[in-house]
Amino acid sequence: MNLQKLVTLFTAVLITHLAFADVAEGEKLYNANCTSCHAINEKIVGPALKDVDKRHSEIWILKWVKNSQAMVKAGDPEAVKISEEYNGSVMTAFPQLSNDQVKSILAYIKTGGPAPATAGSDGAAAKSEDGFYSNAMMLGLALFAFILILIVFILLSVRKVVENLYFQTFPDQADEIKISWKLNKTSFRYKLFKKHPVVGVLMVSTLFIVALSIYGFDYGNKEVGVQKGYAPTQPIAYSHELHAGKYKINCQYCHSGADKGKQATIPSASTCMNCHMHVTAKEKYNGSVSPEIQKIYTSIGWDAEKRAYIPNYKQQPIKWIRIHNLPDHAYFNHAQHVKIGKVECQACHGSVETMKVVSQQHSLQMGWCINCHREAKVDVAGNDYYEGLHKNLNGKSITVAENGGTECGKCHY
Amino acid sequence: MENKNKYWRGLEELNNDAAFVAGKKNEFAEGIPLLEALNDDEGEFQSNRRDFLKYFGFSISAVALAACNQTPIKNVIPYVFKPENITPGNANWYASTCGACPTGCSILVKTREGRPIKIEGNSDSPVFKGGVCAKGHASLLGLYDNERLQAPKKDNNSSTWSEIDGEIAKALSSAKNIRIVHGTVNSPTTKKVLIDFAAKFPNSKTVNYEAVSYAALIEANKNAFGKAVVPSYNFANAKVIVSFAADFLGTWISPVEFAKAWVSKRKVSATNKEMSRHIQFESNLSMTGSNADVRYPIKPSMEGIILLNLYNKIAAKAGAPILPSVTNVEVVVNGIELTANELWNAKGNSLLISGSNNLDNQLLVAAINSMLGNFGTTVDLDNFSNQVSGDDSGFEKFVEEMESGAVDAVIFYNSNPAYSYYNSSRFANALKKVGTTITTNSSTDETGVFCKYQCPDNHYLESWNDAEPKLGYLGLTQPTITKVFDTRQAQESLLIWSGNNEEYYSYLKNNWSTMLGSSVDWNQCIHNGFIVLPSKSTSSNSFNANLSGVVAPITTSYTQSKDKLELKVYQKVSIGDGTHANNPWLQELPDPVSRTCWDNYLTIGKASADQLDLKDGDVVTVSSGKNKIENLPVMVQPGQANKTIGIALGYGRTNGGKVANGVGANAYTFTSFQNGTVSYMVADVSISKTGDGYKLAQTQTHHTIEGRNLIRDASLKEFQNDSKAGNHDSAHIISLWEEHDNKGHKWGMAIDMNACTGCGSCIVSCSAENNVPVVGRKEVIRSREMHWLRIDRYYTFKDTNTKASVSKEKEINADDNAIDFENVRVQFQPVMCQQCNHAPCETVCPVYATTHSSEGLNQMTYNRCIGTRYCANNCPYKVRRFNWFKLRDNDQFDFYMNNDLGRMVINPDVTVRSRGVMEKCTFCVQRIQAGKLKAKLENRTMVDGDVKTACQQSCPADAIVFGDLMDKDSEISKLYRNERSYVMLEEYNVQPSVYYMTKIRNTDETIAGTHKDAHKGGNEKHEEHKEEKEHAHS
Repeated sequence: MNLQKLVTLFTAVLITHLAFADVAEGEKLYNANCTSCHAINEKIVGPALKDVDKRHSEIWILKWVKNSQAMVKAGDPEAVKISEEYNGSVMTAFPQLSNDQVKSILAYIKTGGPAPATAGSDGAAAKSEDGFYSNAMMLGLALFAFILILIVFILLSVRKVVENLYFQTFPDQADEIKISWKLNKTSFRYKLFKKHPVVGVLMVSTLFIVALSIYGFDYGNKEVGVQKGYAPTQPIAYSHELHAGKYKINCQYCHSGADKGKQATIPSASTCMNCHMHVTAKEKYNGSVSPEIQKIYTSIGWDAEKRAYIPNYKQQPIKWIRIHNLPDHAYFNHAQHVKIGKVECQACHGSVETMKVVSQQHSLQMGWCINCHREAKVDVAGNDYYEGLHKNLNGKSITVAENGGTECGKCHY
Repeated sequence: MENKNKYWRGLEELNNDAAFVAGKKNEFAEGIPLLEALNDDEGEFQSNRRDFLKYFGFSISAVALAACNQTPIKNVIPYVFKPENITPGNANWYASTCGACPTGCSILVKTREGRPIKIEGNSDSPVFKGGVCAKGHASLLGLYDNERLQAPKKDNNSSTWSEIDGEIAKALSSAKNIRIVHGTVNSPTTKKVLIDFAAKFPNSKTVNYEAVSYAALIEANKNAFGKAVVPSYNFANAKVIVSFAADFLGTWISPVEFAKAWVSKRKVSATNKEMSRHIQFESNLSMTGSNADVRYPIKPSMEGIILLNLYNKIAAKAGAPILPSVTNVEVVVNGIELTANELWNAKGNSLLISGSNNLDNQLLVAAINSMLGNFGTTVDLDNFSNQVSGDDSGFEKFVEEMESGAVDAVIFYNSNPAYSYYNSSRFANALKKVGTTITTNSSTDETGVFCKYQCPDNHYLESWNDAEPKLGYLGLTQPTITKVFDTRQAQESLLIWSGNNEEYYSYLKNNWSTMLGSSVDWNQCIHNGFIVLPSKSTSSNSFNANLSGVVAPITTSYTQSKDKLELKVYQKVSIGDGTHANNPWLQELPDPVSRTCWDNYLTIGKASADQLDLKDGDVVTVSSGKNKIENLPVMVQPGQANKTIGIALGYGRTNGGKVANGVGANAYTFTSFQNGTVSYMVADVSISKTGDGYKLAQTQTHHTIEGRNLIRDASLKEFQNDSKAGNHDSAHIISLWEEHDNKGHKWGMAIDMNACTGCGSCIVSCSAENNVPVVGRKEVIRSREMHWLRIDRYYTFKDTNTKASVSKEKEINADDNAIDFENVRVQFQPVMCQQCNHAPCETVCPVYATTHSSEGLNQMTYNRCIGTRYCANNCPYKVRRFNWFKLRDNDQFDFYMNNDLGRMVINPDVTVRSRGVMEKCTFCVQRIQAGKLKAKLENRTMVDGDVKTACQQSCPADAIVFGDLMDKDSEISKLYRNERSYVMLEEYNVQPSVYYMTKIRNTDETIAGTHKDAHKGGNEKHEEHKEEKEHAHS
């Protein structure tokens, strides 16, 4: 009896475990392959995938994923129907996916995917902590300065009025009081500028220099890219919150260089077109293309009416504004961090998936880099390079710094 | 180290000239250029307090204004359509063929975001084996030359292609006599274009013109064997090489290929103690002569008579009839006899070559090689070379035709005779008689100014093309960048003018399928960059020429100029024939032998200079008949044969561009047309002093090392007896530093001084890789050149005093009592940062700008550097370079870094340094980091050869080896353990990471002998120290 229970329990655990493994793998595959065109609860380029297993048989889905066009051509009624519904647009074929992999994607879809990001929770996060450069803050400061100047003027005019009243009342004292400060040996100004002119000039110029240095330092910081909180207005009001947050498009779908080399790369307009050939957000703009999406079309030369590229069009690249600027004398390689170090994008760029407007979250100064290098462990396991290199470390885990990651020549050359 | 001054770099060092002694006391030749910074003219210090206040006030307000700015907006602009194979930030490599000269080396072009930034050799190539010469490396800069023609021009006014094409087509169709003047064409498809053109215009002819002609060599082979070709030479098969003034390691035919083959017989090890023997007869000390085992300084007019004697001596051995009435001459004691013996003993594996453009000389060379049975082993007439050409009489005829008014249309392709023709005014006048003149040269050069239509060709990095440098070795050139300007490939122009509107790409592709058949995979060929066809088997080559005619003219020219001062014009390794004179990288590359850049000059031997009362820096006028060069500086050159002078070609451009114009003097004026070929020597020249002085930009004594012996060498015989010969000195070592603990990698380098030819390819490669700026002549004179890597050249007198066994060379010098400046031995030594493990520079830096890495690198952090220059003071190897100026965006340094186009060549992975910062060789740390990352991304350990430094990669002699010392099986680890390896200044115990390997010379002389005694002495000393230590302990 006990044995039977044990076996049942074991089997149950095993099954659950397997199922979880399926779902986890499915999530990975789903994010890597499907998110550019599909969402679970919403129609994007392709249909919403919720309950897809109820709409079609599993065998049908397997065939469809691997080569949908063959089915359409063969005249499969379900396939033809979908093709017509989507104006004949073609779903990318995935012959490389095994049956089990497709099944695991289905398993993941069944779980309903991640809970959709709740609207409104992100607005605060998008704003930077210090907000030194935000427009609202600048406006506030300007207003404050204006009020202060106003007060000074009011006080001065009040004083003048009072003075005039006083002189009218005591006309005999007027001359005495009106004596210039230059002759009044007891006045502060006289002491400073007439008696000790050097001290006076030095004091004033010191004040100037200090003020200018503060400006200068700030200017220099901006020049070398120390601009935490910088959130410029981009030429297209592209929302990472929508794309990465709501639709869960993998970061590297667009920033495809991140695991390949030095630069994460800004996607070309043609990458946008992979989806936006179909997604026009017409429903939100009374049947006309969203003005922001239209900017992509203008850049690349896409005729949304005819659904075709305009021949001989003079294409204009989109001039995005660079937010994360490392100075030229610092070498940074995305692949080393993303692919080898397995660092999450968010570790340096913050929760971009919650930002409507991207802002710089960290100072990107050297101290910030070094801190991470001191703490982060080198992931030796699974990479033959590190395994070979650290054979003699007897399995001791080491930090990036202990591997020479804080030496000057690793980033500066 | 008793023979302290055994090696010397220049006469001033040898003689301890007052100026030299004073100069070397200061680490930096001059102080900070503060006065210049404040004054425009080099007058007195004129700034005063008011000026100071003005500048002060201005800078304060400038900062204030700047501070009002918003965060500077930096754009990041992606592609509209991203090309599939480009990932911004990652380099793409394309296989191609170098177009710097017709040698046609196979290269790889590194591009970043669609712009080429580096050229490297294609190590898969069986002919060129991954080497590239300095010119090849530098040709990259020609692409970004903003003085190239940016659009076609008509009568020197901008025009359009359609307008020009229409007019040219019209002019050509009505022309009676069309001539195409072209340089060496090594491209089979271009040849076909020329044939097509001739088919369309039957009244057209091609004229071959080369600035430096090989007409005599071709003519000699035609006369002797009926094959009008330049043979292929196989130096790898040659046990004995005798060269008559052929600079085959530097400028002759195919230097990279020859260096690779030559060095394969020069590298020795404990297991292979054989090496080839290299004998050089020449008047100017060439780079090849510097590397020879034996060098006979001779007058240029003696080449013929020596060859005659050599011929007779070998003919006697071979049983062939000897030539009658030959004047007997000998060099020094019995040099010709010895040379003949050596050649004969290595029969079939010997090689005799001559750089002369004299038909008689070349006939004799062919005859001797034929008697020695060298055809088929070291000389191959069947798989010939297309790398050089020359048809001097054909061109002469063409000039006469022009003068007679018979030619009414001429097209110049790849040739600039108005500059390099010996009588340029005659050529210019003749050209004025031609109605339609067209040039396809890429800039308005000396010929271009006389041409009505200028139809600029693409740079080769923008073009499709092919090349067949040697028969059966086909290379492809592919574009690596979109055209920078509105230029058009010359081949395409010719096709269009002959009525064929086919794109040159498809024309080329079709021609390949015709040539090679459809079985050859075109894409694979583009990928590889070359294809090797089965070589032709050697046919019999029987010598059929009659030599009786050569004796008389040779004897006359010898006797006539016996006592006269003779001139030999030569090509420098850097500038060559002058085609690339507008390239600042090449202008700044010091000549390997004279160590002088940014000029040409008159080289003269010490004895002749003393006779004529000339010294370094004197300005003279050289004249011969009507031809003369005025204001040429003198450089006293050890090794130069007595009674001879040399002047380099390629200088004195008048329309070469802003870099080339006005640099040096045009020595082509001294060439002449004699007996059917252009002669590059003048039998009788006179020199007169002008009384002026001139300072040459000579780097030979910069960064002096105070006469410390850094060179170790031994003769082959000594080496055969003792693998450690010449390398026994070991210093008593005291350590001041703590040892480093290396866990991961430890990088090291070894340089085989037996292999290094001094060619300077590494210097240009390093400059391109590491954004090393060009500083110009004025700053080089002030010892402020920025090259991270220098090649020191040392002279040493031949050892004439030892009473060792009388050897071949001993006999030569037996009668020489005086110091013999004609016979010097030369040694090259590349010196870059030695990456000391106990680096003296690191300990003196007050701001930790230079520190040690766990991988054994001596790191330089530019942004920490505050420019105290203490590190350079404390560096025993003098390898640190200080940025005295901002060398980019500065009109004072108007080279490539002063314009946007030129800056496209900059390597984005390496910081561009600013003023006031110290810099030095980093062991190409960016390549190390890239190599490591590649291994990590591919999930593997690093393998030996993953990381190659720029200098190592480019070396045509494989002299430099780089690698990880933690890998005990790596090439570098083995070389560290080699008996020949040593470090410079071992006694300092700074533990450099660069090892040098003893130079072995294939002579029987005693070279290392004296060192052995020193070794003994050293040991004794060592013992004494030990005792002292023990005393101290007790």
